[in-house]
Amino acid sequence: MEASAVRADLHDPASLAALGHLEIVARWVVDGFLSGLHRSPRKGFSVEFADFRPYQPGDDLRYVDWKIAARSDRWVVKQYEEETNLRATLILDVSRSMDWRGAPAAQRLTKRAYAEQLTAALALLLLRQRDAVGLVRFDDAVRTSVAPRARTTQWRRLLAALAEPSGGRASDVAAALGQAARLVTRRGMVILLSDLLVDVDTALPALRGLRAAGHDVTVLHIMDPAERTFTLTGEAQFADPETELAVPASGADVRAAYDRTVETVIGEWRSALGAMGARYELVLTDQPYAVPLRKAFDARQRRP
Amino acid sequence: MSFLAPLYLLLAGAAAVPLLLHLLRRNIGARVEFPAARYLQRAEREHSRSLRLRNLLLMLLRVLLLLALALAAARPLLRGFGAGHGATAAAVVLDNSLSTTAVSEGATAFDRLRDAARAVLLAATPDDRLWLATADGRLQAGTRDALLAELARVSPMQGAGDLPLAFRRAAAAVDGAEVPTHVIAIATDGQRTAWDSARRVSEAVAVLVPNGDPPANRAVVSVNAQPTRWTPRGAILARVASRDSVGYRVVIGERTAARGIAARDEPITVRLAPSERGWQAGRVELEPDDFPADDARHVAVWIGAPPVVSTSSTAGAFFSTAVATLVADGRASAGAGIAITAADVATTLPALLVPPDDPVRIGAANRSLARLGVPWRFDALRTAPAVARGDGLDGVTVTRRYRLVRQGAAPSDTIASAGGEPWIVGGQGYVLLASPVDPVATNLPLRAAFLPWLADVLGQRLGAPAGDVGTPIAAAPGASIEIPAGADAIESESGARRATSGDRMSAPAERGVWFFLRAGRRIGAVVVEATAAESDLTRWPADRLAARLGGARARGVSEPAALAHATFAVGASHPVATPLLIIAFLLLAAEAIAVRASRSPAA
Repeated sequence: MEASAVRADLHDPASLAALGHLEIVARWVVDGFLSGLHRSPRKGFSVEFADFRPYQPGDDLRYVDWKIAARSDRWVVKQYEEETNLRATLILDVSRSMDWRGAPAAQRLTKRAYAEQLTAALALLLLRQRDAVGLVRFDDAVRTSVAPRARTTQWRRLLAALAEPSGGRASDVAAALGQAARLVTRRGMVILLSDLLVDVDTALPALRGLRAAGHDVTVLHIMDPAERTFTLTGEAQFADPETELAVPASGADVRAAYDRTVETVIGEWRSALGAMGARYELVLTDQPYAVPLRKAFDARQRRP
Repeated sequence: MSFLAPLYLLLAGAAAVPLLLHLLRRNIGARVEFPAARYLQRAEREHSRSLRLRNLLLMLLRVLLLLALALAAARPLLRGFGAGHGATAAAVVLDNSLSTTAVSEGATAFDRLRDAARAVLLAATPDDRLWLATADGRLQAGTRDALLAELARVSPMQGAGDLPLAFRRAAAAVDGAEVPTHVIAIATDGQRTAWDSARRVSEAVAVLVPNGDPPANRAVVSVNAQPTRWTPRGAILARVASRDSVGYRVVIGERTAARGIAARDEPITVRLAPSERGWQAGRVELEPDDFPADDARHVAVWIGAPPVVSTSSTAGAFFSTAVATLVADGRASAGAGIAITAADVATTLPALLVPPDDPVRIGAANRSLARLGVPWRFDALRTAPAVARGDGLDGVTVTRRYRLVRQGAAPSDTIASAGGEPWIVGGQGYVLLASPVDPVATNLPLRAAFLPWLADVLGQRLGAPAGDVGTPIAAAPGASIEIPAGADAIESESGARRATSGDRMSAPAERGVWFFLRAGRRIGAVVVEATAAESDLTRWPADRLAARLGGARARGVSEPAALAHATFAVGASHPVATPLLIIAFLLLAAEAIAVRASRSPAA
């Protein structure tokens, strides 16, 4: 795929997944995402001054040296040396509830497939910025734990970890977050990718603990559009694959109430995480990867 | 509310479907994997009240929708829905049978019934389909004005008519009408005997039977002439229905032949020997009462001169003695007329023929019979005792008789039989016995029945003019009757005549005696009378008669003025299928709005 012709990060995720495996698609997505940025990310992320150069249209005005401009009537832009000091840990929920899609496979990815693809793309994006990236996969236990590294081989390790199986049903997010805290000893960034069908009472304290340790926490709430807006019809027992919960209902009857409840749940997560200084982003599995990448990238950009 | 297609009400059972779904939804079997089921559970928990209300509302809307559709399909009619009455197919059955001429409180029942029928027609609208049926079976369709004019021309019949037939025809007429409401309005005196055979119909029925008890009635319920021909003696036998004794008068022709008082249930027998000759009209009259139509009943009788008889010694001594007795009594006269003789010496007809005493003469007797054209022959002598049967001779023993053998195909009657074989036979101008009238051969001459039998044979079988042998025809007014052979006209008692043709005709509509004429000569008679049952004025109560005729959809009234209202009260039922369909549409729209509202995220 020519990135200049079609930006993969703006492509439909399900269609994109049909074109190649995880590694290839992740490269396409990241290449497309980076080509869409107005300035070089490699320059912008560093903080150590390197040199001046003449201003060119398109340069970020924040890096214009205004003092020189005032004295000599020349517009120059400050250039910085790259520096890698961020340690990011991606925490991926691979529980049973993530293996679900609300539409046929040709039209939509499961939440897990979407999240894995997004994880791979995020990892590649961070590694290209010389950040150290680690990975924790969990369901009812921590299934995979890869310590953060910035080496070029880290990408392969992460891809291999993403391919590992998972056998649990429920989501023990507290254990996963605890594992992440142990992996990242220095202050860093933690990105949780989960459908948040978890025990809130244990998840929030764990997240709060990460925040207390000085980590930037971003929660990407992976949600199928059919979970966001109830579209199922007919009378049925709606069963949670992780628990024994089965709710008899008529789709038409409960639709409005369900949608209002989901709205409430999202609001509760957003306010609870916001209160502890964590970021919350809702990610629907039919969104192009550019959307969540942008949200995660913004979080990375706000770090010093 | 009534229904034109009540079977469609079964569709209302479909209303149980949403009800059952509502009640059984907790037992839904289909299982769908949905990870966010916890949100669903929370939604139901947090919005349970509104969900229950909404589900209840939807269930009610759907049940009502199905009920409205089922009701609409059943094509309901609702009383009091709208003004006036809807288009109605109304048949008015007016009882104009003879019994309606009974007078009560100064007016006949017929007048009251016709007034009620008129009120029904006047209450009709141009949208109504109308018929008028009368007891004579006539059914006329037309506009209100045309039927009002026809109603003015209706008069009481002289007979019972056939009200069940009129009712059936009225029901068939309204049944075929393409208007939503069908009704039969009956104005009748409620006479039980007239309605006993009527069958219930599916149409709505409104019945008027006027208030009050029928008048106490005295009636001549039967009159007979015995024998049917008098030569010239005969008897009038009558039976009277009366609660007490009643005076009567017997009239032959224009003359009062007898008067008397008849006790309750006592039969009247008047023996007469009138001087009139030929076919005569007679009647038995009672003192008039409030139902004068049955105070007289008619009879026809043929009266002739005594038969002229000559007795041969060859016939035996008993015949001579018997004929002498009849002549002395004026029931026969001596002369060259009917010959009573042994067959072997018979030369002319009419004749009463017996076998010769001497068996040797049997061959001569058969030759004589052949010469006279009698289609019977004497055969072997039978000496086995036998018992006679027929013509009032039952029990007569026969010890000697000749077997009678039929020859040819000429008409003949077997008057009496013995031992299973013809014993006395008769035909045009002859009566032939198979035994000599001798105690050695039969005890007939020793029996008391001998003389009346002989008088009957002479007067009825042999004494009547040729061609005048018919017996009077009894017929109801207007009934179909057979015209006697050769008759070319019919004549009333007053002498009015009209020509006849063909084999059958309708009996005159007026009660009385009518004579058939052949070339101006009376050759037969028809007695037109109502049935005796018409004199029984016992009534059905209005509501019971209505229930018999129309079942649950019938209504009985006893006031003439109420018939029109009762008729169109049934007809006032308007079709409500269209409003129900509109209601169903509105329910459907409400259901759609309720469903859409529940699906709207903003709701």
